[in-house]
Amino acid sequence: MEKLYVHELRPDGEVSTVGLFYSRTEAEHIVAQLRSLPEKQNCRYEIVEAVAHSSSTSLRRATREPAKE
Amino acid sequence: MRGTTPRREQGMADPVLASMVQAMGLETAPHFAAATPKIQAYRDRWAELAKFRDGSVNVQRLQVNDTAEMTRRIKAKALELGANMVGICRLQPRMIDLGEDLPHEFVIVSCVTEDYEKVLHGANAVEEEAMRTYAKCTEIATELAAHIRGMGYPARAHHNGGSEVQAIPIFYQVGFGELGRHGSLINEKYGASFRPGFVTTDLPLTEDKPREFGVQDFCMNCNVCRRNCPGDAIPDDHVITHGIKRWLIDLEKCYPYSRLRDEYCHLCVDVCPYNVKSHPDTYRHFMKERKRIGYKTPKSW
Repeated sequence: MEKLYVHELRPDGEVSTVGLFYSRTEAEHIVAQLRSLPEKQNCRYEIVEAVAHSSSTSLRRATREPAKE
Repeated sequence: MRGTTPRREQGMADPVLASMVQAMGLETAPHFAAATPKIQAYRDRWAELAKFRDGSVNVQRLQVNDTAEMTRRIKAKALELGANMVGICRLQPRMIDLGEDLPHEFVIVSCVTEDYEKVLHGANAVEEEAMRTYAKCTEIATELAAHIRGMGYPARAHHNGGSEVQAIPIFYQVGFGELGRHGSLINEKYGASFRPGFVTTDLPLTEDKPREFGVQDFCMNCNVCRRNCPGDAIPDDHVITHGIKRWLIDLEKCYPYSRLRDEYCHLCVDVCPYNVKSHPDTYRHFMKERKRIGYKTPKSW
């Protein structure tokens, strides 16, 4: 499954992450909605692929059993 | 006021869950299909109250000359209805779902705490407790909104039966606590073992203030939730949203344990060391059991 961050780049230089989305269509839809807001007219948006976290690819997972609850 | 925060759809309306369920050749998530009669009754309760979220406002408006006194009265009313914590803040666009328009000025959040002892009785007991708490929050929010409309001010309840507000930014703003690595807000006294209901209104009130007590710094080093997550869904790294650290849970990894099997998964919250303050003995007992079956526990144990 595709994983994409949407970042909001504000005119003052601040970067705020909007969220993690699981398809480009969904991420683009969110960006379009944000761009339509008057108070967001001066913001820019970027959609970037989420890089796998180190914990998700470590050996730890292979050595651990699933929860038994 | 127009909202700016995207809502993650719940249940089968969530496209991530829907696609995973479809890939399994099922119509609904196994977890939802396995609901006990008690859990179903709680779900029915908030669905039943959905139609009372909003309503007509008394034309005889009560004049508010002392907002501090009105705030005290509203908080007392919420506590009388069964809430354990009540907070109030001015509604901001980031507290409202993207695309929704909420015309109100303030938001009142009432929280009911969960009985943490249920962790010793298995996943179904924990889930039933969570659903009981949500149903209670729904009743409180519904009653409180009706009470405010009775005073002549618009008021709408937001709960599991219907909502246009975002819990975490409101929790933070009213000073309930800070966002933890597991994605839930951590309160100093109750950990993350509580559930909310909300009322948005134009009733003049006094705002509470955010309160930080080191949660986000603690979460940077603790990692107990991450190491206990059976799906490895809690990330190492954080992002920043509105200047606050946020660890975004990987739903594709979470759902096989929390939605695609019969049993509930609430482990990330249950193992959080912030539960130790309110339930020291239960927490120690629970974590000893986690350790016995091979999971990480806080360093000093």
